[in-house]
Amino acid sequence: MNWWDDALHRATAEVLLAGALAGLVGVHVVLRRLSFFTMALTHATFPGVVAASIIGVNIVVGGVVAGAIVALGVAALSRHRSQNTAAATGVMLSGGFALGAGLVATQNGFSRDLTSFLVGSILTVSPQDLVTTAVALVVVAAVLLACARPLRYTGFDRVGAQAAGFATGVWDVVLLLAIQVAVVTIVPAIGTILALALIVAPAAAARQWSHRLSVITALAVTFGALGGLGGLYASSRWDVAAGASITLTATAVLALSTVLSRLVRSRPTAAARPQALAA
Amino acid sequence: MIEPFTVPFMGRALAELALLALICGPVSVFVFARRLSFVSDALTHTVFPGVVIGFLAGGIEGIVVGALVAGILTAVVLTLFSRGGALSDDASTAVVLTAMFSIGVVLVSRRSSYTSDLTSFLFGRILTVTPRQIAETAVLAVVILGLLLISARALIFRTFDPAGAAAAGFRTAWLDLLLNIIVALVVVAAVRAVGTILVVALLIVPAATARMLTTRLSLMAMIGTGLTLVAAYGGLLASWTASVDYGISLTSASAVVLLLVLAYLLLLPLGALRARRNHGRIASNARRSPHELVG
Amino acid sequence: MDGVAVADATLRYAQVSVGYHGTPVLTDVNLDLTPGQRLALIGPNGAGKSTLIKSILGLVPVLAGTSTVLGRTPSQARALIGYVPQTDSLDADFPVTAGQVVMMGRYRRIGWWRPTRSADRRRVHEALDRLGLADHARTHFGVLSGGQRQRVLLARAIAAEPRLLLLDEPFNGVDAVSQEAILSVLRDLSAVGTTLVLSTHDLTVARELADTVCVLNGRQWAVGPPDETVTADTLRRAYGGHAIELRDGRTVLVEP
Repeated sequence: MNWWDDALHRATAEVLLAGALAGLVGVHVVLRRLSFFTMALTHATFPGVVAASIIGVNIVVGGVVAGAIVALGVAALSRHRSQNTAAATGVMLSGGFALGAGLVATQNGFSRDLTSFLVGSILTVSPQDLVTTAVALVVVAAVLLACARPLRYTGFDRVGAQAAGFATGVWDVVLLLAIQVAVVTIVPAIGTILALALIVAPAAAARQWSHRLSVITALAVTFGALGGLGGLYASSRWDVAAGASITLTATAVLALSTVLSRLVRSRPTAAARPQALAA
Repeated sequence: MIEPFTVPFMGRALAELALLALICGPVSVFVFARRLSFVSDALTHTVFPGVVIGFLAGGIEGIVVGALVAGILTAVVLTLFSRGGALSDDASTAVVLTAMFSIGVVLVSRRSSYTSDLTSFLFGRILTVTPRQIAETAVLAVVILGLLLISARALIFRTFDPAGAAAAGFRTAWLDLLLNIIVALVVVAAVRAVGTILVVALLIVPAATARMLTTRLSLMAMIGTGLTLVAAYGGLLASWTASVDYGISLTSASAVVLLLVLAYLLLLPLGALRARRNHGRIASNARRSPHELVG
Repeated sequence: MDGVAVADATLRYAQVSVGYHGTPVLTDVNLDLTPGQRLALIGPNGAGKSTLIKSILGLVPVLAGTSTVLGRTPSQARALIGYVPQTDSLDADFPVTAGQVVMMGRYRRIGWWRPTRSADRRRVHEALDRLGLADHARTHFGVLSGGQRQRVLLARAIAAEPRLLLLDEPFNGVDAVSQEAILSVLRDLSAVGTTLVLSTHDLTVARELADTVCVLNGRQWAVGPPDETVTADTLRRAYGGHAIELRDGRTVLVEP
């Protein structure tokens, strides 16, 4: 029997890939304080996914289109100083969710779909889902790596980055689209709530351990993948919903990191070492 | 246009929504001004484990108590996190939201029929609202509006000038907690009847829409209530018409939300116009925070 | 330096108005700066100092008049301008080290993809060293003091080797040691031909460092050598009657 034929094997692979992808974009979500935007994205891409499945096109395409509209909308709204972007994001979230839920409700057997939208159905992940996630992982990693410098400059010092000639608006859109691609890819497999947890918690945990972006990113990817594996194991061990147990595992990683990193830091640290620069 | 509401369950649904409109107009103003959209969204999710435990412990009657406990617990936790901690407050909100919701899911997922539980949590059962539920909502409405009435002045002061309010002797931490608890109470009052989708919309959209028309807080609250009433009436009517006349199942919660969001989108150009007119006056000293990308 | 008209004007503003959305914040600005000149912009809060600096970068549009920066339009000249923003506009929590911040000054040259070269790293080290921060290259930016942060940002601007350096309130919340370090570096830069424009509300510093002072409040009230511009009379007019003169000839401002 092929290794990939086992649902649990596929779930394991998906959880590793999704955890890595989530950790990768999660670092930026946490640093730029985009958690609410991410939450809104998970809900606002929902009507796109539903509409795509009703029309019969690839649901990832539907999600990407809806997500891109939302990401561009947020970027446009956040350029307006007077706009309360938190409220605008909230409006998008509730509007998108209501539209998606309304669309689902017109179909038969909708409560199962809705539930899997919220908490995912990682145990029914298909080989094609795996390929999609892997491709998204490669694309997002490449984009984030290639754009590391402008993204760092814009995140740290917006006005300075503009003054140095970076089109900060463009870089915002690049970042939002990268997050959007990650969200759209992982939500169908693991659900909205889990997607948010996997994006935010491992990155927030990694943030506790280092002040270097490269280290934080590596840690976030590791924590994301480990949290996924641990949660999957707990789920099969105690027979609870996989999505929920992965979320709780990721939360536990964060709680542990917060406590342990404080303990480690409270010890006297060595004075600043002679430098070797990196960029 | 009135005829569908002579059917008892439609009339009760409208009454429940009218009560919620009365609360959500003023509460959403504070949610808007204090940028608590994410906190509101989080509270709608975090009451879920309370709903589940309440139901398991005390049946239908236990739900409100369970939700109340979970809601107030979250309000306390979120207030603590927002006052400085290891995490930025949006990340901690996200974590509390997902963790609490997952606890609820773990609890229901051990029961066989959990998909329908989740569905009713999302959509509520507005069309099966009982007189008893309306009474419960009315009681909570009185409590919420009473709390707001007493604390409005302090809350407004704290919203626009946190340092000034603290200097004037207000305990800002307690005020923050109070506002979070008020939002939690709204969620508890509404969630069983109308579901999370509608609650979160009712807490965010009315004031955000009213803001396009006015800058005065009291007027924003009234316009918010008015808009919600219109949307509630229109949404229930649309969902009735769609299912009775056309055989399309349009959930009333979705219909109400979509009407509210439609009003927001239609008024968006008006808001942009107002902002532009005021721009020259405020531009010079309005500084963007580094995190304005998504407030 | 490249041959084009380096000679005279680093910056030339004639009858310039700047502002947002067609509403001017600042009008009647006339400036003519040559290499090595040190201009201080003074005026009350909201006078338009930051707006003027951003207009030199092309981040705030020029609504009227003619503006030339290094022989081009402001936004074309951006690559040749160094800019030190106010530290409180930054995200101090962002995980970057002081060395990485200074390296940002080189991003324009190395692009956003090529790896850094040893020449870049040497420039960064030199810039940090000039500001007395060579030991802090690997320190997280967020744990530095206000004065150290300001020095790092100046080092970043220097690492870009600008011909025109703009500083927005560089002495706000800065300790005495940092202020001395910054002043001495600025003097050195000016001596080798870098033009300086800085906004400040510290009249003593303005007098000490600048060879030209521009008094602003909604419009340009005076421009010229400090002795002619930082006078009780001018300041009283520009600030609306809140300047008082002390006996030793120093002017002290009292803002309402």
